[in-house]
Amino acid sequence: MKKLLAIVLCKLGRAVGKLVGKGSSLPGKLALKVCPDILRRVQLPPQIIAVTGSNGKTSTVEMIAAILRAGGKSVVYNEEGSNQIEGVTTLVLTHAALTGKVNADVLLIESDERYAAKTFRYFYPTEFVVTNLYRDQLTRNGHPEWVYDALVPAMHPNTELILNADDPLSSCFAEGHEKVQWFGLDRCSISADTPSGVYHDGAYCPLCRHPMEYEYVHYNQIGSYRCTNCAHAKPKTDFTATALDLDAGTLTIDNETEIQLAFRSIYNVYNILAAYAAGRRAGIPSETITGVINRYVLKNGRMQTFRLGAHHGTLLTSKHENSIAYDTNLRYVASSKEDCVVLVIVDAVSRKYFTSETSWLWDIDFDQLNVPQVKRVILSGRYCNDLAERFFFTALTEWSVEPDIAAAAAQLRESGSEEVYVITCFSDRDKLLTHVEKEA
Amino acid sequence: MEVTMVHFYPDLMNLYGSYANVSALRRYLERLGCTVKTETVVPGGGNFPHGDFFYMGAGTERNAKAVMEDFARFSRELKAAANDGAAMLFAGTAMELLGKSVREADGTAYAAAGLSEFTTEHRKTRIVGDVYGHTELFPEAVVGFMNKCGVITGIQTPLLSKADLGHGNEVPGGPEGFHWKNVFASELTGPLLIKNPRMLETVAAALYARRGQTLPVDRPPDPWAETGYRVTEEELRKQI
Repeated sequence: MKKLLAIVLCKLGRAVGKLVGKGSSLPGKLALKVCPDILRRVQLPPQIIAVTGSNGKTSTVEMIAAILRAGGKSVVYNEEGSNQIEGVTTLVLTHAALTGKVNADVLLIESDERYAAKTFRYFYPTEFVVTNLYRDQLTRNGHPEWVYDALVPAMHPNTELILNADDPLSSCFAEGHEKVQWFGLDRCSISADTPSGVYHDGAYCPLCRHPMEYEYVHYNQIGSYRCTNCAHAKPKTDFTATALDLDAGTLTIDNETEIQLAFRSIYNVYNILAAYAAGRRAGIPSETITGVINRYVLKNGRMQTFRLGAHHGTLLTSKHENSIAYDTNLRYVASSKEDCVVLVIVDAVSRKYFTSETSWLWDIDFDQLNVPQVKRVILSGRYCNDLAERFFFTALTEWSVEPDIAAAAAQLRESGSEEVYVITCFSDRDKLLTHVEKEA
Repeated sequence: MEVTMVHFYPDLMNLYGSYANVSALRRYLERLGCTVKTETVVPGGGNFPHGDFFYMGAGTERNAKAVMEDFARFSRELKAAANDGAAMLFAGTAMELLGKSVREADGTAYAAAGLSEFTTEHRKTRIVGDVYGHTELFPEAVVGFMNKCGVITGIQTPLLSKADLGHGNEVPGGPEGFHWKNVFASELTGPLLIKNPRMLETVAAALYARRGQTLPVDRPPDPWAETGYRVTEEELRKQI
């Protein structure tokens, strides 16, 4: 009876929520109050794929869903990104019949890394994809090892882990786990010999704390690492990006599958690799996957192009409190072949909670912008002074401060025609987009 | 004046921009005309270096424990330097290593450097949040962010006498950090010397004092840091 009540309540709550434009976690929260173990009581699809990690969850899940559907499977997934237990409960119950059966081939879950253990208390994924673990949102996550420890209980022994071989921390989930599949990127044109960035989380082994050595690095601490003391090292990969040319926008997987990249970012490459690995493990043929992700444009809108006066612009939505997300976008800008102006906005640190914490700015390698084609940088938003202080410690000289975002946009509109790159977070992106002409 | 700064374990203890405390002090001293040299200490490397300023930043609990295994060999020299008036800053979780011991969340414990008798006990939940506190060293409020899992007991001489917002050593609102002679310690994470220009000045003054000097009256301003501080101070005050 409690099960039925929880399902009905959740379905009603979701229907009402959609009408009034409310979020998708409240119906699940109500259902969990009525029946706390409802997720144990429902009949889930035979395949349950979970995706977690500091970065790339939403994009990877979106691509996996498209791949599975192209392969003829029916998929239920949390498209709105509500990724804690309440959101997952809403997802499951709104797609369940009143009997509790979820009619789909695959349940695909984007899972918050801190709360995955709670979500998977009553059931466990058949496959669990971990994209990476980095410094991210210290205001709620503490630090990457704290998140790692929180995730360990979510890794059921029967679950097949699909792990990023190039990440020295999240690869540790394989310790003592039998079923593991690895994805990774071979040395390629973008590889460096040593880790980059202003901090070096790959300097010491996460297992034994001895120094690590790198054969090559793709970005920050991601690459081919090897502990000088223990056996921790980049493992042999099952799904491998064997060639990558970001300039040409081509990615080759397992020496045979060539993919045209719609977005030429190393991030996108890893998300594609993770999605490819998950698709293959779900039995989808390589050709079908390629057909889906070739020139795949993400629907989650994290990259938006626009016009601003004579400028063409690209908004690179990043994540405040996540230095690697920023570093990746800065690298993308630095790889630009044309003269450009960069606008960095930090107005609200988070859209979900208050904090005035700006330490994370010091983890970002803004010196990447110190390239000839970046003609100037404008810093804007409530925390523009903190940004300016950070820039004061870089080698960059052509930067200025305009606290008001509208005034910064107006300043750009009035002069120049260079490409504009805007780097900011979800919390601040609309504050700019209201002042530009968005492209489709 | 020639100044030597000693940065302990810059890779292992470097969460969330901790390194920037060294950068800030270095630049501050250079703008005052000092010649600054920075020495780094890594596990297993070298003897206790002579220095005017000793620094360690925040690290993960596992990194802090690993560091302590190496740092233990410096305990005697560290105490002697502190007693002699050397300026020190132990920021973030590095502060825990100045005490007598650290008990981890699993119940195991390890000895810390023993500069003071305080002890740390790790919890299974994390204490995170903005901090707005007060110190007796200067009138301006101290702003920052706490990110720790340790509860520290036994501190008689805190750095912050109270916090209007955020957690102290033991309890919310309580005294935070540790201050003895020219040793400054706080579990405020990240570049607290950049966020708090007065704290930067205080640490620099301590360094000068050990050399028998006072800070020059005319000091180059840092308007970005000052304005950044004012914005954060205002934002945090609204939360009290």
